[in-house]
Amino acid sequence: MSTNGLIGRAVKRVEDKRFITGHGNYTDDIILPHQTYAVFVRSQYAHAKILSVDTSAAKEMPGVIAIYTGADLANTNGVPCGWQVNFKNGDTMKEPKHPLLVADKARHVGDAIAIVIAETKEQATDAAEAVTVEMEELPCVIDAAKAVQPGAPLVHDDVPNNKSFDWTLGNPIEEVNAAMDQAAHVTTLEFVNQRLVPNAIEPRSYNSSYDPVSEKYTLYTSSQNPHLIRLLMCAFVLGIPEHKVRVISPDVGGGFGSKIFHYTEEALLTWCSKQIGRPVKWTSERTESFLLDAHGRDHVTKAEMGFDAEGKIVALRVKTYANLGAYLSTFSSCVPTYLHGTLLQGLYTTPKINVDVTAVFTNTTPVDAYRGAGRPEATYLLERLLDLAALEMKADPAELRFKNFIPPFDGVQQPGYQTQVALQYDSGNYEGVLKKGLEMLGYADVRRQQQEAANNGKLVGVGFSTYIEACGIAPSAIVGALGCRAGLFESGHVRVQPTGKVSVYTGAHSHGQGHETTFAQVVADKLGINLDDVEIVHGDSDSVAFGMGTYGSRSLAVGGSAIIKSIEKIIEKGKKIAAHKLEASADDIEFASGRFTVKGTDKSVGFGEVALTAYVPHVYPKDLEPGLDFSSFYDPANFTYPFGCHIAVVEVDKETGKVSIKRFVAVDDVGNVINPMIVEGQIHGGVVQGIGQALFEGAEYDENGQLTNASYMDYCMPRADDLPMFETASQVTPCPHNPLGVKGAGEAGTIGSAPAIVNAVIDALWSGGHQVKDIRMPLTSERVWNAMNS
Amino acid sequence: MQLAGKHVLHAAPTRVWAILMNKDTLAHIVPGVSRLEQTGDHTYKSILDIKLGPVSGSFTGNLQLDDLQEPSAFTIKTQQNSKIGNANAAIAINLTPVGDNDTEIIFDGDVKLTGMLASLGNRVMGGVSNTLAKQFFSNLEKELDKEPAP
Repeated sequence: MSTNGLIGRAVKRVEDKRFITGHGNYTDDIILPHQTYAVFVRSQYAHAKILSVDTSAAKEMPGVIAIYTGADLANTNGVPCGWQVNFKNGDTMKEPKHPLLVADKARHVGDAIAIVIAETKEQATDAAEAVTVEMEELPCVIDAAKAVQPGAPLVHDDVPNNKSFDWTLGNPIEEVNAAMDQAAHVTTLEFVNQRLVPNAIEPRSYNSSYDPVSEKYTLYTSSQNPHLIRLLMCAFVLGIPEHKVRVISPDVGGGFGSKIFHYTEEALLTWCSKQIGRPVKWTSERTESFLLDAHGRDHVTKAEMGFDAEGKIVALRVKTYANLGAYLSTFSSCVPTYLHGTLLQGLYTTPKINVDVTAVFTNTTPVDAYRGAGRPEATYLLERLLDLAALEMKADPAELRFKNFIPPFDGVQQPGYQTQVALQYDSGNYEGVLKKGLEMLGYADVRRQQQEAANNGKLVGVGFSTYIEACGIAPSAIVGALGCRAGLFESGHVRVQPTGKVSVYTGAHSHGQGHETTFAQVVADKLGINLDDVEIVHGDSDSVAFGMGTYGSRSLAVGGSAIIKSIEKIIEKGKKIAAHKLEASADDIEFASGRFTVKGTDKSVGFGEVALTAYVPHVYPKDLEPGLDFSSFYDPANFTYPFGCHIAVVEVDKETGKVSIKRFVAVDDVGNVINPMIVEGQIHGGVVQGIGQALFEGAEYDENGQLTNASYMDYCMPRADDLPMFETASQVTPCPHNPLGVKGAGEAGTIGSAPAIVNAVIDALWSGGHQVKDIRMPLTSERVWNAMNS
Repeated sequence: MQLAGKHVLHAAPTRVWAILMNKDTLAHIVPGVSRLEQTGDHTYKSILDIKLGPVSGSFTGNLQLDDLQEPSAFTIKTQQNSKIGNANAAIAINLTPVGDNDTEIIFDGDVKLTGMLASLGNRVMGGVSNTLAKQFFSNLEKELDKEPAP
């Protein structure tokens, strides 16, 4: 039905004009009449009893309007977790209260003890310093594997062994053990997938106000999903009816997952705005971002992969301790389980898989989804095992993968692939991406160069990663059965204006992804109109009917599909209007290139004229309502499964251990592509974040639970001069179950890249005779040097 | 954070000991003292104003000289609180006679930091504590110079 070729074209992003000229409108830019400002008094200790909080001096400080402590909120609910996971024995997960302000004890550094509201931010800051808090430090626990040991300090007094839940998936463990026992070779890897700080460029910011006449709240929030925040805050925390709350997420400067979750500050500011009858704003300091924005990853894992004598994988056994931090963040429970365990089939025909996850509380910042969320952890595990197995078995890592790939299937002629870990893959051509990657790399040449380098005493390595992810989150019935406490559909409302211009209201939210361009391309293409004639509206619960927001590479696959449904309704109604005008039957009307035409004739009417007729219905079908305005909801039939192949070539300096990336080849199959430039940009950004994990980043806690690198002086982010020019390509295997055939591209780069880099470093060390199995990420010069010299 | 080092002073251990155990001279030696109030035997309440890069603030707390073994060893115990974080330290100090009239001071202890001191200052805390130690010994040398040798 493509009419003007806008789908598939590298259109420049329309939103960039305001971003690069400084005209973005972020939450912190919004100043409301009678604005007040909030500052928090936070715990300096990872674990400490609160003995007393004295606000009397602070309350006398200039400009102070109100100070609230945990005691003032004793009867208020905490923020909820959105996904229930059950223990293996069927018991419900331990879900201790996550209060808006802590009254009894602080459970991580940064836990909020009091909120100080004043006329200016400076006055609030001064008054917060005058609040005296007496605390008694308690022993703390940081490491997930240690937290479950007997005698470990308890983060929540009523959660034995700090265990929120244990969980298993896959084939019965006895079957996996039996297959593993029969294996000709078993590769074992014990490793840490380290904790990462999300580092969105815009710190979190909230501004809440209350109108006593309408009794309505308005919350501006730097969120990836304003409707979800409204749902959680109204229903679970404050008990306010939803029609009395408007939530707006204006421009948002990046999220990477960290702005999905319902944070305590959002609900607390909303509560405060009614108490004081004035708008309250809080914007996170960068240090607060480091300490409070939900972190990512933090798994301690032992994984074993068994092979038969021919190199076919016969079994996979995984045991993981997942660190949840001090509280259950909104989606924290599903990340190490349903977004991690379910991906352990990878691209391979492994017949027996068992994964066992223990999720534990520690005195650290809560951990939740971070770009990729569970899927990078699964991919890292599988891909590290495969490259290491190839080294151990003296096999070629590419050949080992070809031997084990699931054969190509399109999901239409051939059925989807049923994995051992609950999911059914939609469509895939896994050998295709690896073949293409090897061609782009010039694999034989690279291996020859590696040998020459080794002969000259240099360490060059090649690392592979062939990944799969579950995106387009998610079919409500499936996630509901797995414990999700929300539906994960999307809404799409298309309003044709009388002049034929089109406003589209989507529940997806753009915070860097370029929806205002991509979605407009889809709509303009399908309606045969100009790109400029389409406006994409998002991020306001009063103008958008409903929405579940943006995460899990879902916006186009789910949100775009909802828009398509509305467009189909518009064309169908447009045909009736056109038929009446052209004195033909609606069944005989075709719509193409923006015109409604009577089949086989040259009689036609344009889209704009039909739109005008819908709103000026003087000559109009009797049984038809005026207007051209449709809203639809789309609930996907399945997840989508993007996949790809990333290959890294690195050189390791023998003297210093420094890793230099020489080549990075990425072939990604994200289904159909609407805007190749935006997809490539997403891949680039994602790859850099994965490289960041592999070589540079990591939250470092000391034994007292202090985050010792909570600033950009100490937390190393990747920079342009750390990176090579990326060599990217795409393969297209359409998704068979959504109307656009798209799979999602937001997380692919992050998921694929980290294991490719680490594998390449390990390969480089083996080429020099250092048979190292693992180096803990990030692979700093020091760690690599120590691995070579131990 | 581990804090250790040594320094040689041109005075006998007994003289060094006497200066360290005297409240008035101690107030001149500990870096940044703006108030030192004795609350018991070798026990003090203190206010310190420290301005060293990221470690700038007013610290209130206590200071105790403990495990006294005149004139060869004692332990400084201190708990200091500030808006930028708290510091809790126990530092063992040994005074060893060297030659005829010199003393080698060896110190070794552990400092526990919280808040911004831990999250922002950690990378530079080693340098900050070395600077504070240098100030301490330079102040101590000044006191030794003031008092004529007996």
